[in-house]
Amino acid sequence: MRHLFKLDNQEHAVWLTWRDGRYFLLIGDSEQPVALEGAGGRDRLTVGNVTVPVLAAVDGDDIHIHVDGITRTLRYLDPIRHYAAHSGASVDDVILAPMPGTVVQAIVSPGQAVARGDTLVVIESMKLETAIKSPRDGVVETVHVSTGMTFDRSAPLVTLAPATGA
Amino acid sequence: MRIESRLDVHSEEFRANFAHNKALAAEFHARQQKARFERPARDIERLKRQNKLFVRDRLDLLLDPGTPFLELSTLAANQSYDGEVPGAGNVTGIGIVAGREVMIHADDGSVKGGAWYPLTIKKMVRALDIAIENRLPVVHLCDSAGGFLPAQADLFADKYYAGRLFRNQAILSKRGIPQVAIVLGHCTAGGAYIPALSEYNVIVRKTGAIFLGGPPLVKAATGEEVTVEELGGADVHTRISGTADYPADTEQQAIAIARDIVAQFPKPQKLKLERIAPEPPYYDPSELYGIIPRDIKVQFDMREVIARVVDGSRFHEYQPAYGTTLVCGFAHIWGYHVGILANNGVLFNDSSLKAAHFMQLCNQHGVPMIFLQNITGYMVGREYEHRGITKDGAKMIMAVAGSEVPKITVMVNGSFGAGNYGMSGRAFDSRFLFTWPQHQISVMGAEQAANVLAEIKVRQLERHGQTLTPEEIAAIREPILEEYRRQSSAYYSTSEIWDDGILDPVDTRNALGMAICASLNTPIDRPHYGVFRM
Repeated sequence: MRHLFKLDNQEHAVWLTWRDGRYFLLIGDSEQPVALEGAGGRDRLTVGNVTVPVLAAVDGDDIHIHVDGITRTLRYLDPIRHYAAHSGASVDDVILAPMPGTVVQAIVSPGQAVARGDTLVVIESMKLETAIKSPRDGVVETVHVSTGMTFDRSAPLVTLAPATGA
Repeated sequence: MRIESRLDVHSEEFRANFAHNKALAAEFHARQQKARFERPARDIERLKRQNKLFVRDRLDLLLDPGTPFLELSTLAANQSYDGEVPGAGNVTGIGIVAGREVMIHADDGSVKGGAWYPLTIKKMVRALDIAIENRLPVVHLCDSAGGFLPAQADLFADKYYAGRLFRNQAILSKRGIPQVAIVLGHCTAGGAYIPALSEYNVIVRKTGAIFLGGPPLVKAATGEEVTVEELGGADVHTRISGTADYPADTEQQAIAIARDIVAQFPKPQKLKLERIAPEPPYYDPSELYGIIPRDIKVQFDMREVIARVVDGSRFHEYQPAYGTTLVCGFAHIWGYHVGILANNGVLFNDSSLKAAHFMQLCNQHGVPMIFLQNITGYMVGREYEHRGITKDGAKMIMAVAGSEVPKITVMVNGSFGAGNYGMSGRAFDSRFLFTWPQHQISVMGAEQAANVLAEIKVRQLERHGQTLTPEEIAAIREPILEEYRRQSSAYYSTSEIWDDGILDPVDTRNALGMAICASLNTPIDRPHYGVFRM
């Protein structure tokens, strides 16, 4: 499985391989010898027969690269997250109560668009308030509970509209 | 010292051999290509409909790009089940995942729904044996409908049948060798235990499922109606039952998770074997095609083969003047120091003693042994029996069976009779055993055997007062010869998994390099043996 990077909204699958004492960059069907010399400050990047000075800064998954007077930003795409996002398959359409309790507040309503991580419902159980969050991006289809209602473990709280394909 | 090749690459003989063996290699590659990629359109369409990837695409995603994959037994089952179960319905081999050497076992859902035939199971058991012997972590890609029921008598109950898979998984775990299973299809009945017995497993939503009995069986047994997802889907097993560990939305994500799991495995401490910088052979390995004679009865110098496999064609020959029908010596392959034993004729008393002695040397030095077989057997006749040829052969077998260092066998040409045993045949636990396309193997040569069998038939008929014309004798002899030839061929051998796969001779050096490297994960014990009959 190659590493995925995004550059100007386009994905590139690349891999660095070590052979005969040097690195090769695999990209598409081609293979280029590559090297990076120097440490910190100004590095020298060699791709094929061309060597250029390069400045690179890493900020989380973003890599800012300054070559030939232009700065471009590459984003590393984590494969586990990337391939989940592409699937269109739902984590689960029905969000169930993790434990028995009482509804403190039903925050969302049917038809509302939610993003992954948005709070759907706040519940109270064993003197603890818990925010029930959306496992994925989607649209709320049904809210099964209202404020003040009590429920058992595994009772449905919110149903999301089935995800459509990618 | 560099081997001085005496091969005349311009001779008529060389050219004829070259053309012959090159054609055999081409045929081998064509058969391999077919077994790997050619599937009936309906099976490919079924995979698409089920939203599943073809096993070769799964492997591409799993393996580190640009790294070698030593595939094993690609042509298993090529002579069985009417040729309809290519590769015995699965893929096994050693590859690199997240920078680590692992054994891979992958069911091939495009062959009979990934059903396990008897040879499918034999191939999986062998892969797990290799993993145990060489301490290789295992990645299982599970997508099998389960055992092929019409053949259940040949795959269920015996010691090395299906139960052995799970026994081997448990042994791997007990020895601290981790396994990760990716559930890409339904793992039913016995197949359910493969992910369950793996330390880690990943399951794909919708397409992956694990259950002892599928929905139809549950309905028949208890009347309960239940969907696949509710019975044993990803969410059931990762949230409720704890049978599976990581849910995944897609095959790609499942494989990405599995790669990340393998990245957590500790890197093994390799055995310290003397290693120098690798160097290609001085002589061109493609000349191997011109060395092997077209007729198996024609003798050739195995040093010419060694010269085209080992680093710099350099070979330190041990006892060059004694027992000359067996060539022994030290060399390097991909920089690894090895001892080589190679047949240069029939085994006599002196060559057998030399073999037993040299094997003890290799064990004393902790050097892996490479056996290059081209053996018609041990010498027969009064003189040799009086000198104790059987006793000397027994010494050789005692040494080979008692060896602690890794053994790797290459069936370069013929392998007949007890010579097969003394030269570390399949029964002698070589870590790996590869064959060349023109290799022949049997308890005796095809023609000799056909003559013996035809003779018995003729005598039987003579007792009933029938005499046979030469044509009638030929009519008896020919079918026997034909069947015997088929069963002694490299393709039959690899079909039955008597080897770990056929090699194009020019790939031998690379395969040996990977095999030696894999073998160094396991510590080598001090040498100790049984009783040598002196």
